[in-house]
Amino acid sequence: MNALLREARFLAKDRGAVLWIVLALLLSAAATGFGIAEVREQRQTIAALLAEDAKDRANAISKHDAWGDAAYDAFHLTYAPPSDFAFAALGQRDTAPWLHRVRMLSLESQIHEADTANADFGLIGRFDFAFLAAAVAPLLLILLLHDLRAGERVAGRHDWLVASAGTPRRLWLPRAGVRFGGLALALLVPFWIGAAIEGAGFGAALAASALVVGSLAAWWAIIAVVGRRNASPPALLAALVGIWLMLALLIPAAARAGIEAAVPVPDGAEILMLQRDAVNDAWDKPKAATMTPFLARHPEWRALGTVEKPFEWKWYYAFQQVGDQQAEPIVTAYRQGRLARDRAAGWAALLSPAALTERGLERLAGTDTRAMIAYEDRVRAFHARLRAFHYPLFFRDPPYDPVVLDGLPRYDPAP
Amino acid sequence: MSAMWRIAREEWRLWARSRVVLLAGLIIAVLIVVTSVLTALRVTAEAERRADRQASAEATFFAQPDRHPHRMVHYGHYAFRTPPPLAAFDPGVDAVTGQSIFLEGHRQNTAMFADTRAGADLGGCAALTPANIYQLLLPLLLIVIGHGVVLRERESGTLAVLLAQGQSGRAIAGGKALALAGIAGVFLLPLAGLALFTAARAEASQASAAAALVAGYGLYLAVWCALVLAVSLWVRQRSVALGLLVLIWLLVALIVPRVAINTASAMIDAPGKIESDLVMLSQQRKLGDGHNAADPAFDALQKQVLEQYEAQSVEELPINWRGVVAGYSEQKLTAMMNAFAEDRMRREASQSRIVTWFGLASPTLAIGAASRTLAGTDLATHHRFLRESEGLRFDFVQGLNDLHAKALTYADDAARSTDSAAEQRTRVNAASWRLLDAFRFAPDPAEVRAARALLPLMVLLGWLVVLGGAIGAGARRLRP
Repeated sequence: MNALLREARFLAKDRGAVLWIVLALLLSAAATGFGIAEVREQRQTIAALLAEDAKDRANAISKHDAWGDAAYDAFHLTYAPPSDFAFAALGQRDTAPWLHRVRMLSLESQIHEADTANADFGLIGRFDFAFLAAAVAPLLLILLLHDLRAGERVAGRHDWLVASAGTPRRLWLPRAGVRFGGLALALLVPFWIGAAIEGAGFGAALAASALVVGSLAAWWAIIAVVGRRNASPPALLAALVGIWLMLALLIPAAARAGIEAAVPVPDGAEILMLQRDAVNDAWDKPKAATMTPFLARHPEWRALGTVEKPFEWKWYYAFQQVGDQQAEPIVTAYRQGRLARDRAAGWAALLSPAALTERGLERLAGTDTRAMIAYEDRVRAFHARLRAFHYPLFFRDPPYDPVVLDGLPRYDPAP
Repeated sequence: MSAMWRIAREEWRLWARSRVVLLAGLIIAVLIVVTSVLTALRVTAEAERRADRQASAEATFFAQPDRHPHRMVHYGHYAFRTPPPLAAFDPGVDAVTGQSIFLEGHRQNTAMFADTRAGADLGGCAALTPANIYQLLLPLLLIVIGHGVVLRERESGTLAVLLAQGQSGRAIAGGKALALAGIAGVFLLPLAGLALFTAARAEASQASAAAALVAGYGLYLAVWCALVLAVSLWVRQRSVALGLLVLIWLLVALIVPRVAINTASAMIDAPGKIESDLVMLSQQRKLGDGHNAADPAFDALQKQVLEQYEAQSVEELPINWRGVVAGYSEQKLTAMMNAFAEDRMRREASQSRIVTWFGLASPTLAIGAASRTLAGTDLATHHRFLRESEGLRFDFVQGLNDLHAKALTYADDAARSTDSAAEQRTRVNAASWRLLDAFRFAPDPAEVRAARALLPLMVLLGWLVVLGGAIGAGARRLRP
C-alpha cells in the first residue's frame, strides 16, 4: 500500500505522465458526450418519423376504395433503435441502414435501400468510446509506460533502485500499476457516467469495462516485455509504436483483405436485377407462370387462385412475392456470406487486441454486423406478417372496409 | 549551399547504416507496393465489372418485349458509378457509398450495395489503401527516422563542433531539412509511378489531376518533415521529442479527423432520405397521384389541354390524356424530389466543408480531402453521380410518358385492365425502348476538381509556412 501511495505521489509530479492521463480523460469525456448526443438524435429522428409515418399511412389508406390500392400506398416504418449502450460504439450504424419504409411490394426491391449518413462519416469514422479504447488508449499506455526502466537507466538510477528495492517486482509493479490504473480510470470514469446517464445495463457496462481493462492489460504485458530490453527510451518507443501499428492497423487490414478474398459474397446488384426481371416479366407471362409457384408456397389459396381478368390485385401481389422467391437463393447466399465473413473476422480479431476490443464493444452495443443483419431479419419477418394480413383480403376480396386496416400489423423493434 | 548538401549527405549515410531505419523504410516500401498493386487490381476489375453491368443493363432495357410504356417506366434502369482511374490510389467514398442505383418512375432510389455492408468488420482502422499509407504511415516513419535529426548532434556533442566550425544554424537546419526531404522524395516515387501509369492509360485530362495529386502529397510530406525538424530544433531531449511527435501524430492523424466528423454531425443536421421523403410525401399528396388521371388536382391541367386541342372531353383529345397526366405529374414530382435531394446534398456538403476546415488542426484531414477530390472519389463526385443518374432517370421516364401520350389511345388505355384486346393494343413496339440514353459515369473534369481541392491544399501550404517560420526561428537561436 505504501508503495502505491509513494508511486502516486511520484506520478503527480511527473508532468508528462499527468498530461497523458488528463488527455485520456478529456478524450473519453468527448467521445462519450458525442456518442450520447448522436444516439439521442437518432432516437428523436425515429420518434418524429413514427408520428409522420402513421399520419402518412392513414392518409394513404383514406384515399382508396380497394384492398390492393390501399396496400400499394401504405408504407410502414421499420427501424432499429440504438440500444442504451450504443453511445459507446456506434459501429455499423453509419454505414448500414437502420431505417426503412416497406410496403406490400416485392421486399427485395426495398430492403437494400441504404438510408445512410454522409459518406464521409462512414469513411473517416466517428470518434466514439470504442475507437478510443481500441486504438488510441494503447498508444497512450505506450507513451506512459515505455520509459519506466529506460528512463531510470538514462538517469543513472536504475541499478541502484533495483538493488535497494529488494525484488524488482516491488519496484516496477507499483510504478507501472499506478500509471495503468490512472489511465484506465481516466478512460472508464467518463464512460461509466455516460452509461449511467443512458441507463445502460450494469452487466453491459461491467463487461465493457472488463474488456477495456483486459485489452489494456495485454498491451501492458507487451510493453513490459519490450521495456526490459536495455535500449534507449526513443528506441523502445519506436519499437512499441511499430508493434502498435502492426496489431492495431496492419493485422486487421490484412485479415480483412484476406477474409474478403477467401469468403465470397454474391454481388448485391444481382439480387435486384433478378428480382426486377422476375417481377416485370410476370406482366407478359401467362398468369399461371405466377400463380403456380405462388400457390406452391401458399397452398391454402389454391381454391381461390385462378386469375380471370387481365389485371387482378391478387395476381399483382402474387408476382411481387414470386419475384422475391426467385431471388431467394442469391439473397440467402448474400446473407450467409456476410455472416461467414463476420465469423471469420471474429476469429481474426483474436490476433489483434484493438480489433477484438472494438468488435466486443460493438457486440455489447448491438451495432455489429450480426445486429444489423438481425434487423434485416426483423424487417423480413414484418413483411411476412404484412403479407399474411393482406392475402385473405386479396383472395377472398370482401367489400372494402378501411376499419379492417386498423388491424394492420405493427412493426416491433424489440430484438 | 554545399554545406547544406554535405550535412544532408552525412545524415543519409548515417540512416543507411542504421538497421532500424532500413527495416522501417523497407516495411513501409513493401506495404506501399503491395497495397498499390492490390488496390489497383481490385479497382480496375471493379471498374470493368461495373462498365459491363452498365452496358448489359442498357442491352436488357432494349431487349424488353412490346409493352405498355408505363410498364417500362416501372421496369426501370440501372446506373453504375464506375470508379475513375485514380481511385486505384485513393478509392475514397467508393466503399461506403452504394455503387449502383435503380432508376424508375415516381421515385428517386438510394445508391445500394456499398462494399462496407458486406465487409469483414475488424474495427475502424482496418482499411489499407495506398492513400492511407501515405496519409498515416509515412508521417510515422518520418517521425521515427527524423525526430533526432538535430537532437542527435546535440546529445552527442557534435552540434557544438558544427557551430564552432562556423556553420550557421540556418545552414544546419537547411541541411537537415534537405535530408528529410530526400527521404520523403524517395517515398513519393511509387505514387509518382502510379500516377504516371494511370495518366498514361486514361485521357489527357487525368494527367493534370495525377500531377496535382503527387504535388499535394509532396506538400503533405513536406509539412511532416517541417514538423519533425521544428520539434527536433526546439526540444532539448530526444525522448521528449519522440513522445511529443507521436502525440501530435495521434492527434492529427487519428483523433482530430474523427472529432471533426462528430462536430460536423452535431452542428448540421442532415436528414436521411426516409426522413425527408416523409416530409415530401405529405406535400406530394397535394400534387395528385400520376396513376389516377381523374384526380381533382389535375383539373386545371385538363382545362388547359382541352382548350389547346379545342376538345370538349378527354375522350375527344387526339392524344392519350392518361399519358399527359403521367408526364405532367412526373415533372412536378421530380421538381419536388430534386428540391429535397438538393437540400440533402447541400447539407451533406456543408458537413464535409466543416470537416475540411478542421484541416487547420490536422494536415491529414486536409490532404485526405484534397486527395479524394483530385482522385474523383470524394463526396461531391458521389453527389454528381446522384444528379447525373437522376437526369438519366427523368429523361427516359419522360420519353416513355411521351410515348404513353402519343402512341396509344385513351379508350384502349382505360379499358386495358378488363379488355384483353385493348390491352394488346396498348403495347408499344419494342424498338421505342431505344430512347434510353447511354450512361457512362465520369467525375468532374480535372480543372474543376483541382479548383475544389485548392482550399485544403492552401491549408497545407499555410501549415508549411507556419512551420517554416518555427524552423527559421529555431535555427537562428540554435545553441549547443
